[in-house]
Amino acid sequence: MSDMVGSAMVAVFAGSTLRLAIPLVLGATGELVSERAGVLNMSVEGMMLTGAFAGAVGAVYTGSPALGLLIGIIAVLPVALLQAFLSITLRANQVVTGIGINILVLGATTLAYREIFGGRSRAAVPGFDKWHPPLLGDIPVFGEAVFTQVWLVYLALALVALVAWTLRYTALGLAVHSAGSEPKAVDKSGLSVSAVRYGAVLFTGVLSAIGGCFLSIGDIHTFTEGMTSGAGYLAIAAVIFGNWKAGRMLLACLLFGAATALQFQLPALGIEVPNALLIMLPYLMALLAVGGLVGRQSAPAYLTQPYVR
Amino acid sequence: MTGTRFMQGLGDQKAIFLSLAAVAAALVLGLVLVAVIGVSIPDAVSAFAEGAWGSPYALAASINRSLVFALVGLGFILANRANLTNVGGEGQIAVGAIAAAGVCLYGGVAAMPLGFGFVLAMLAACVAGGVWGAIVGVLKVKAGTNEVISSLMLSFIGVWMLYGSVQSEAMLRQPMTSSSTLPESLEIPDATKLPLLTGDAGMPLHIGLPLAIVLAIVVAVVLHRTVFGLRLRAVGLNPLAARKAGIAITSSVIGVFFAAGALGGLAGSMMLQGEQYTIKAGFSSGYGFDGLVVGLLARGSVAGVIAGALLFGFIRSGGINMEMMASVPSSLVLVMQGVIIVSLAGAARWMDREGERR
Repeated sequence: MSDMVGSAMVAVFAGSTLRLAIPLVLGATGELVSERAGVLNMSVEGMMLTGAFAGAVGAVYTGSPALGLLIGIIAVLPVALLQAFLSITLRANQVVTGIGINILVLGATTLAYREIFGGRSRAAVPGFDKWHPPLLGDIPVFGEAVFTQVWLVYLALALVALVAWTLRYTALGLAVHSAGSEPKAVDKSGLSVSAVRYGAVLFTGVLSAIGGCFLSIGDIHTFTEGMTSGAGYLAIAAVIFGNWKAGRMLLACLLFGAATALQFQLPALGIEVPNALLIMLPYLMALLAVGGLVGRQSAPAYLTQPYVR
Repeated sequence: MTGTRFMQGLGDQKAIFLSLAAVAAALVLGLVLVAVIGVSIPDAVSAFAEGAWGSPYALAASINRSLVFALVGLGFILANRANLTNVGGEGQIAVGAIAAAGVCLYGGVAAMPLGFGFVLAMLAACVAGGVWGAIVGVLKVKAGTNEVISSLMLSFIGVWMLYGSVQSEAMLRQPMTSSSTLPESLEIPDATKLPLLTGDAGMPLHIGLPLAIVLAIVVAVVLHRTVFGLRLRAVGLNPLAARKAGIAITSSVIGVFFAAGALGGLAGSMMLQGEQYTIKAGFSSGYGFDGLVVGLLARGSVAGVIAGALLFGFIRSGGINMEMMASVPSSLVLVMQGVIIVSLAGAARWMDREGERR
């Protein structure tokens, strides 16, 4: 009998790990592409928040979470274009533009949310239902707790695989990689470094927006002010911990998701671990990784460097 | 020589003009947003002015807030002279505040004569912040770690360390007398609070103001008149050539990050000992990131740091009062701040002399 309870707990833990990791997976996959292309997008946080907000508002006004998702993706485009224009065309400092955009988006979404919803804060918005996949969903205990998830979860995992494959095996992937490691070579080959980087930043925007929508209309079916609360920075940490490789990055996201899930599970088991330790663990792991304590790190050579012909 | 001086003057004028234009644009946008959300503009403006400089108390609060931005900004331009970007202000504030709170509450300094208690706490904050900053320098020279990434991670770690330090009575949490005892530290003893310049609680300008002015002068002198400043510049311009010229890059980089971190830690102790008096979750309130932005927008100039710090200090104070008195959400101020940061960062290439990138 205790075996049943034990496996149920493991299943719940695995399920919530996956659920909590997905916004990070989406943001980090986007961030991976733009960092590989040489742009450190500090604005992932703001892009996710834009998606979460516009997705929720869109879902409320259209009554459809699918249209909300579409609106969330469209709404992030101006934000991503601003980041791209500043850091690529104007060659502005990538860190400060990212922080500026995050502050701007936090202010604008909070203001707009209060204007639109007024006192009805934390109002429920139409969201996606969970999807019970065939076969996987029928596994006893685990089928329900782990695999029955909003379809965006499966989309996110598919996107990681697609991005990993594209980066590794296609000409497009080579162009992205070279824009961040050998931009001069890209230029000489006739491709525009700016165009590649613009594309990469816009892609980050779209994936971050989907990650934000997962938070608001996928997971908890409501919007709260500043609801991303650092998920974008965690996504950046995951890319770093993942050594700019898709597989390790995905692992990092799951690990970070597990650390968050533990915050809720450990107290239930009567195990006292300081909450703060679990919250800071992802950043600590990323720091150790980037400090060269977990294998060799190889950041894209031209990360944060604007390209001048 | 006169020619370059002249061009330099022109460049500075252009930078000042562009900065004022960005601030003006943000203010106009702010007014438009106030009108959009349906609050009377005169009400909002008077609430803003009241909160920013309307009373001796408000004026002092704005200036005290500016001090924090200024110290972090000074640290930023110091490291930036060596072409290093310190994004660690937020964490340096947090660890500085933890150290200062520990010394104030449990260091037995409250009973020290002549008010030395508050000085020791500030020194502890400087050392803690400095060590936190130096980690970035050590990683940079030993492992080649990108300082933006490591200092950013250390910021988050510092912020959560502060959160953790007030969750347990074994650390800084106040003794639990009931289940509703908040997870925050005790208030620091009066003897460890920063002495007020006027001795009048109606105008709580504290001793941090003259200290920050002295430090601003010191940083200006270090940057422009000392061998250390020259070394930093050499390291920033061409590390390889600097190494060939016999400059000790390792100690320069670690040293400058220690100094930047110490300024951040000091900022944290001023927030604790001059304003908040307790530490609790959210203590650093994003001031480290604001200070970083102030430093970056100053483009290496100490005068620019002071101007930016005052601007952000007054805007923050005015915004807080606008929310309380005129029910304008303070997020409006975030929007204005974001517009200023984004437009000035974008315009940087036209503000730098000879259009060079930094």
